[in-house]
Amino acid sequence: MSSQHPLPNTQQPSDVYGGDEVSALVLDAGYCHTRAGFAGEDVPKSVLPSFYGSLKTGDGDAATYRDIFGDECLIPRADFEVKNYMSRAESIVEDWDAATKMWEHVLIKRLQPEKPTPPSKNGLNDPVPDGEGDVAMDDVEDQEKPLAESPLLMTEAPWNTGKAREKVIEIAMESWGCPAFWLSRTPVLAAFAAGKASALVIDVGGANTSVTAIHDGMVLKRSIQKSPVGGLWLSGQIRSMWDNNDPKIDIVPSYMVENKTPVDAGAPAQAKLRKFPYEISQSFRTYEEERLVTEFKESVVEVWRGPGRYSNPGNEDIVRSQPGRVFEMPNGSNQMWREQRFRVSEGMWDETAALPAAESITKAQTIPELIKAAVNAVDVDLRPNLLGNIVITGGTSLLNGFGDRLNNELMAMYPGMKIKIHAPGLTTERRFSAWLGGSILASLGTFHQMWISRKEYEENGAGIVEKRCK
Amino acid sequence: MSQSGATVSQECITAFNDLKLAKKYKYIVFKLSDDNREIVVEEASADKDWEAFREKLVNATTKSRSGAVGKGPRYAVYDFEYSLASGEGSRNKITFIAWSPDEANVMAKMVYASSKEALKRSLNGIATELQANDNDDVEYDTVLKVVSKGLAG
Repeated sequence: MSSQHPLPNTQQPSDVYGGDEVSALVLDAGYCHTRAGFAGEDVPKSVLPSFYGSLKTGDGDAATYRDIFGDECLIPRADFEVKNYMSRAESIVEDWDAATKMWEHVLIKRLQPEKPTPPSKNGLNDPVPDGEGDVAMDDVEDQEKPLAESPLLMTEAPWNTGKAREKVIEIAMESWGCPAFWLSRTPVLAAFAAGKASALVIDVGGANTSVTAIHDGMVLKRSIQKSPVGGLWLSGQIRSMWDNNDPKIDIVPSYMVENKTPVDAGAPAQAKLRKFPYEISQSFRTYEEERLVTEFKESVVEVWRGPGRYSNPGNEDIVRSQPGRVFEMPNGSNQMWREQRFRVSEGMWDETAALPAAESITKAQTIPELIKAAVNAVDVDLRPNLLGNIVITGGTSLLNGFGDRLNNELMAMYPGMKIKIHAPGLTTERRFSAWLGGSILASLGTFHQMWISRKEYEENGAGIVEKRCK
Repeated sequence: MSQSGATVSQECITAFNDLKLAKKYKYIVFKLSDDNREIVVEEASADKDWEAFREKLVNATTKSRSGAVGKGPRYAVYDFEYSLASGEGSRNKITFIAWSPDEANVMAKMVYASSKEALKRSLNGIATELQANDNDDVEYDTVLKVVSKGLAG
């Protein structure tokens, strides 16, 4: 959820254990962030926004576009659009060309260990006009394949399509020359990392919230439920709240502010705005606004813990009597947020409490209803075990009070049943649980026999992924 | 095969058959070998004391990557016996327990959870399975309720 800065360290993992010396890479791609790192490590070395930039050169029919990747590239520029390679609704790849380039950026440019290949040939030193951007991979056939020594484990949404699964193994094998490949489903990895082969996984991510039942390490397909009630939807609620605030709160992202003078709470901002000699695209502005809203989300927003809905009589009075939180905008305007910080998140649980926004939601899309639908879709005998083994993952689940509210909702929905929620306390474990699970799996010596090898791929084609990665 | 690629040693199957057919044991505790490659028997016992068995799980340890010793997951099979509340006599259920304490390190939890299927599938004749993650989950009464589906007296 936060805009994390990439770690500069591109060394191979020093933490090799159990004699399992595999230089495997692990890639976990989401709509908001793309996470990549070395198997065996606790956190992904490289966490980048899944948003990238497209720079236009020339005009009209002569215009050419160049994609650039990495958060350091997403700065004010002329003729610059910010795009995303994933589909917002599905959290699966939409633009394969951009996805490939983004993954090459994180896996090769950011992580690739030193190779015996001479620097003149490894593609990293090819001249790039402004000294940044993605690795030029156009002449890839002429050189050693970039990941010829790195098995790659990728994660996927449980609703990923067969076609998309074949496409990723093709890219890994054909374009990057990976010696071995594996695909794992994110909720299975999250459940395993919590020590559970069977669990109900509630993944509250950036673009989606999903609920998936896992039984003996397998996704129960019928159980899968998802809705847009995630981090970006919550951003929409915050925007709606700011729009309707009195006075209306303008979203002025940091890049627009040249300097500011401190002002009293509620007073108009006194800031000098930067002037740009070119037009800033709406897509860039939206991206920057989202970063600001995310900061607010992380530092101010809270979930009403229950029991019962926030709108129940008396609850708001309790909140009003408690200390609020001050949030200062990049332009210096600031104010105290009290009951509003609970109101914005209430729609996740109660659709009637959702603020009017471009993205309206239905009752069926709220978190309690998603859970109910997922549980109802599995065999009656499995339900008690699932409710006793609930795993929470995803960055948006880190909202203060989320776990307590979830527990209260579940107790109200399933009276008399044993409800137990497993929510890792470590922020990194919650944000990266699927990546972490993949990291451990890919680092195991025994996993050697699981990988789809290059030979297997060459003999069977891309269809092998459907047979092997069940 | 398990999703981790870990295998099951023959001694696990032998011990299980001794429990199931020869009634030689009351319970067996299994663990992953130190290199995480193979599931082996840690202990097989004829001791009928549930508390002694429970202590074994609760006190099980594992080494983290850095070498620190902490709580550790285990698998266990227990030949559970209970009498029916209806007075229709007693029942035996061979129960598989996947023990993974929440405090265990994430590496151990991951390895045990992703290897469980390999063991379970090798053991023919398991009547019930339960997943236990904290000390309460392995209290006798809790297990009895799950194993007997509430029919125990």
